[in-house]
Amino acid sequence: MGFFDAVWDIFSSDSTYLNGALFAGLLLFAASGEWIAERAGTINISVEAMLLAGAFTGAVGFDITDSIVLAMVTGALGGMVVAGVQAEMSHRLAADQFVVGLTLNILVLGLAGFLDREIEPAAKSAAVFDVPLLSDLPLIGQALFGQRWPFYLLYLLIPLSWWLMFRTRWGLEVRASGEDPQSADVSGIDVNRRRRQAIYYTGLTSGLGGAFLVFVQIGDFNESIVGGRGFIAIAAVIFGGWTLRGTVAGCILFAGALSFRLSIQGLGYEINSELLQALPFLVTIFAMAIFAKRVRPPVALARPFVRGLK
Amino acid sequence: MITNSEAAGTMEVPAVELRGLTKAFGRVVACDDVSLTLRRGHVHGILGENGAGKSTLMKILIGLVLPDGGSIEVDGRPVSIHDPQAAAALGIGMVHQHFSLVDALSVWENVALGEAGALHPAAVRDRIGEIGEHYGLAIDPDARVGDLTAGLRQRVEIIKCLRRDPSIVIFDEPTSVLTPDESAQLFESFRDVVAAEGRAVVLVSHKLDEVMAATDHVTIMRQGRVVDHLITADTDVATLARGMVGRDVSLRSERAALGMVDVPAGEAHATSAVANADVGRPPVLELCNVTARGPRGSTLLSDLSLRVGAGEIVGVAGVEGNGQRPLGDLLSSLVPVSSGEVLVDGDHVSSRRPGAMAAAGIAVIPEDRHDSGVVLDMTVAENLVMVRPGDVADRGVISPARLEQRAHDLIEQFGIQCAGPDAPLWTLSGGNQQRVVLARELSHTPRVLVAAQPTRGLDVGAIEYMTDQLRAAAEAGVGVLLISSELEEILDLSDRIVVMSNGSIVGEMERRNVDLDRLGLLMGGAAA
Amino acid sequence: MNARHREWVALYAGSVACALLLSALLVEATGGSWRPVLDALVDGSFRGPGRWGQTLGAAAPMLLVALGTIVSARAGLVNIGQEGQLLIGVAFAVFFGFRIGGPGPVNIVVVLIAGAVGGAIWAGVAGLLRFWRGVPEVLSTLLLVTVAGQAVAFRLKHQSLLLAPEANRGNRNQVSEQLAENSRLPNLHVFGNDVPSAAFIAVGFAVVVAFAISRTVWGFRLRMLGRNPRAARRAGVSERQYGMMALIIGGAFAGLAGAVMLAGGGFQFGNFRLVPGFSASIGWTGLLVALVAREKALAAIPVAVVFGALRTGSGFVGSTGVEGRITDVIQGLLVLALLVPPALMFVRDRRRARAASAVRT
Repeated sequence: MGFFDAVWDIFSSDSTYLNGALFAGLLLFAASGEWIAERAGTINISVEAMLLAGAFTGAVGFDITDSIVLAMVTGALGGMVVAGVQAEMSHRLAADQFVVGLTLNILVLGLAGFLDREIEPAAKSAAVFDVPLLSDLPLIGQALFGQRWPFYLLYLLIPLSWWLMFRTRWGLEVRASGEDPQSADVSGIDVNRRRRQAIYYTGLTSGLGGAFLVFVQIGDFNESIVGGRGFIAIAAVIFGGWTLRGTVAGCILFAGALSFRLSIQGLGYEINSELLQALPFLVTIFAMAIFAKRVRPPVALARPFVRGLK
Repeated sequence: MITNSEAAGTMEVPAVELRGLTKAFGRVVACDDVSLTLRRGHVHGILGENGAGKSTLMKILIGLVLPDGGSIEVDGRPVSIHDPQAAAALGIGMVHQHFSLVDALSVWENVALGEAGALHPAAVRDRIGEIGEHYGLAIDPDARVGDLTAGLRQRVEIIKCLRRDPSIVIFDEPTSVLTPDESAQLFESFRDVVAAEGRAVVLVSHKLDEVMAATDHVTIMRQGRVVDHLITADTDVATLARGMVGRDVSLRSERAALGMVDVPAGEAHATSAVANADVGRPPVLELCNVTARGPRGSTLLSDLSLRVGAGEIVGVAGVEGNGQRPLGDLLSSLVPVSSGEVLVDGDHVSSRRPGAMAAAGIAVIPEDRHDSGVVLDMTVAENLVMVRPGDVADRGVISPARLEQRAHDLIEQFGIQCAGPDAPLWTLSGGNQQRVVLARELSHTPRVLVAAQPTRGLDVGAIEYMTDQLRAAAEAGVGVLLISSELEEILDLSDRIVVMSNGSIVGEMERRNVDLDRLGLLMGGAAA
Repeated sequence: MNARHREWVALYAGSVACALLLSALLVEATGGSWRPVLDALVDGSFRGPGRWGQTLGAAAPMLLVALGTIVSARAGLVNIGQEGQLLIGVAFAVFFGFRIGGPGPVNIVVVLIAGAVGGAIWAGVAGLLRFWRGVPEVLSTLLLVTVAGQAVAFRLKHQSLLLAPEANRGNRNQVSEQLAENSRLPNLHVFGNDVPSAAFIAVGFAVVVAFAISRTVWGFRLRMLGRNPRAARRAGVSERQYGMMALIIGGAFAGLAGAVMLAGGGFQFGNFRLVPGFSASIGWTGLLVALVAREKALAAIPVAVVFGALRTGSGFVGSTGVEGRITDVIQGLLVLALLVPPALMFVRDRRRARAASAVRT
């Protein structure tokens, strides 16, 4: 049957896994930071803007320095600038975090569109680095170990996020700030400061994610490069029940939906392209509809903390 | 009047010396020229009613509040305490009244919270074991704090404080979550800690009997000032009470608030004319075998049965955290029953339909008024009609004139101090917010009045007002359900006392025949 | 009180000045100069012949979207999917507008109602997910924007749904039929400007919404739900019932905005046809209008006019050699700047209130 053939073709093709790893990579960069921010009590709608800012400043950084290493650094800085606005406005001034995030998304989109046409930065893809032996594994070898080098930052970043959260005092204080800011405050923790720092960390990882998008996945910059995937990264954290393991699983699942679109077209099957475009978003919505009630969010998620006020 | 240092009669360097501490919040002076000396090896009581400045003083000591003026010396050296970490470094630790614990974290994580330096889980766990052994405060370091009883949580709180090996330990109103027995044990351990290790212990309290029983020295505060320094052994309850309130204390409710009720039973109860042996009183509120579960399947209330008659005050005694909050929530339509039913005047009331309890005539003064009692961002007038906005509306359109008229009437009748009906509620003081709740709830001529911890955080005058209102409501035929962790308050007001433990009612007695030993045992869950 | 007023004015003036200064700096830094840009903006929005009618035409759907946002926000819901609700609204308006028919004025009503129903349904999906499945409406409304975009694009490719018959398409291949002339919302001629009647509809609704929120029992209970859901529940406000209603009304206004863009937008919006990119970010901008107006329906009117002016002005900016997208940047910076004063005052007020009550704890 045509349908089962198609599914088989997809699951046996290297390119499915390669594409899947690329999509998952972008989501994982964003989500590994967003996970920490949400455990601290903030939903950063502005992850989308952080990714875009990272992509743009990364491209500009490369245009200027001609070095992808430095471009990754400028990308991270770009993400952190957006994070700075989000953090200072929502956790120093107590402006509504969604309002700030949304405004940032629109502002950064406008800014990227404006500056892209004024500056027109040129970018290119980073070099491929095959990990010896591992990259020869069937199906997943190329996907996980035959990527352009910035991909491998993930192998540091995800364990780093876990380590920060569960093995450092900072992580303990971040978790306390997201669960019970009043108690954390009485215990001598500067709740809003921890929350700001968690957002800055999200800016760092998302900025890297944006640069990853330019130098690994696309090879160039344009303003529609992110296309709502920051929101999917946020959904992955919620889908994952605010655990890192679940978040990673969510990123992989949603990346599967994203890459399914490319794979099925690449293999020459005709499926309604609008449905395919919408598929990752639909999968995300369905997944949340099934799982959202089974997970326990951080108690103070999305609630601002002002001392003496509940 | 003698000064504290003279009273101590020694020349050693005091652990803490406070001189002329002053702190004002806006125009209100919370601490006015407060001087105080704490010595090692002594238990020092700080006595004062709510609002006397005790808490502010302690917050200054642990770095949560910065003083406007005055000096602090620790072990003879002048210091400035700008944040809790600095206080900890100086050896000052506090066991908080409202817990500083995070439910979702484990015991060891909570104990480690708020320290500086790298995190060493194994070392923290070991230390918890050592402290537990040393002071008889055993606890599983990997338990989730949210799963612990109130008594165990306080144990964690004490360990969290002692883990830093403080030379000065402050206990802020520690007995509200303890049974009488547990309180006695706690005071024993004050002695142990002090005598064996030469620490200075501070007991902050508004209860006279506690201060008399547990302290060596007492400082009395009133309206931000130190009124007197006394040696506990040389004084008596009446003197302390006079110092604390500023006049002789005679009113019964005041005496209750200060822990001065003549607890032995036998005397006829003076609440209301109908207080005696009238079994035939018709029940206005009945809870029949009510079980309620939390969102995670935990049991909040378990097979709870309760009856309140018209004009009767039923006191629900019990250690905090034994289901009092869910009981109040159930009667506010905030928690549904999973089995059993609630009857008002014999009619079934749905626990799932929002507002059904209020519509059936159950008025509630909630334990935490900010939780479900008021909307801080709306005006005083709006808060006063919140439960039935239809009363001031025609065909769904609110009449501003009638809204304001209603607000004016209630503000006058209940003496609410505010800038006017249009003032946002958050601009009012806690006591006046509480009056807004009371005014609204009583204005609907309820059948039942549920008062949960109604006097918590109020000063003596406000307490008297509140208890008078409760009595008046009962005399008018309203069934009053008084939920309180202050045993004295319950003994003072109730016609009948039921004891709550682990989410159900474990015992019941008439106020006339009260048996304090049995009451204490029931509160501890002994007879459950 | 007077000093407080002055403080407010100073804060707002200061932060708006900062936003404008930053925008000017950006223009200068990229090789343009700010003065011609400003001139072009004013020409394009008000000064040019017939321009302020255009500005009001752009402001009207923004205001409608903002009104819906305000209703949802007052119930404590963060509906940020207006862009998608608007699109689905237009799609409904087109679909039913060409099928039910009837004489012109009746058809206008059909178009407007169909638009509102479409938007309401799309927001209702997010409501069902929120109140029965516990999915945060922030995310579901947002994700549904993309889904709506794809759904409308799909339908625009099929003649049985929205696509016009080949003869009526002109040289384009993804457009709907054009709305008949007697089914369009008329313009009113005022001082040489064509003012779309949609502007009057929108202002009328603003008054209605303002009244409903501040003066009716329904609005009272809605505000209570938004400010303290537990107190509201105790007083008999069902979160599901009122929350669903608020989301649906929010979606209906977005859908209605789409319908007036179709029936009265003219050249500004697809020339009475549904075309790809029809929504033109009106949904997003309307959302910003609501935020800047701080959830007050009447305050949203002038804000919508300002944002409408930025939009009509941006078309003229291109002639100065500066990229027209600069107006998006100005808009974003303005919104951020307007968020600062209330947030600052809030923190300060609360700090004072806490200080005043601290003595009592």
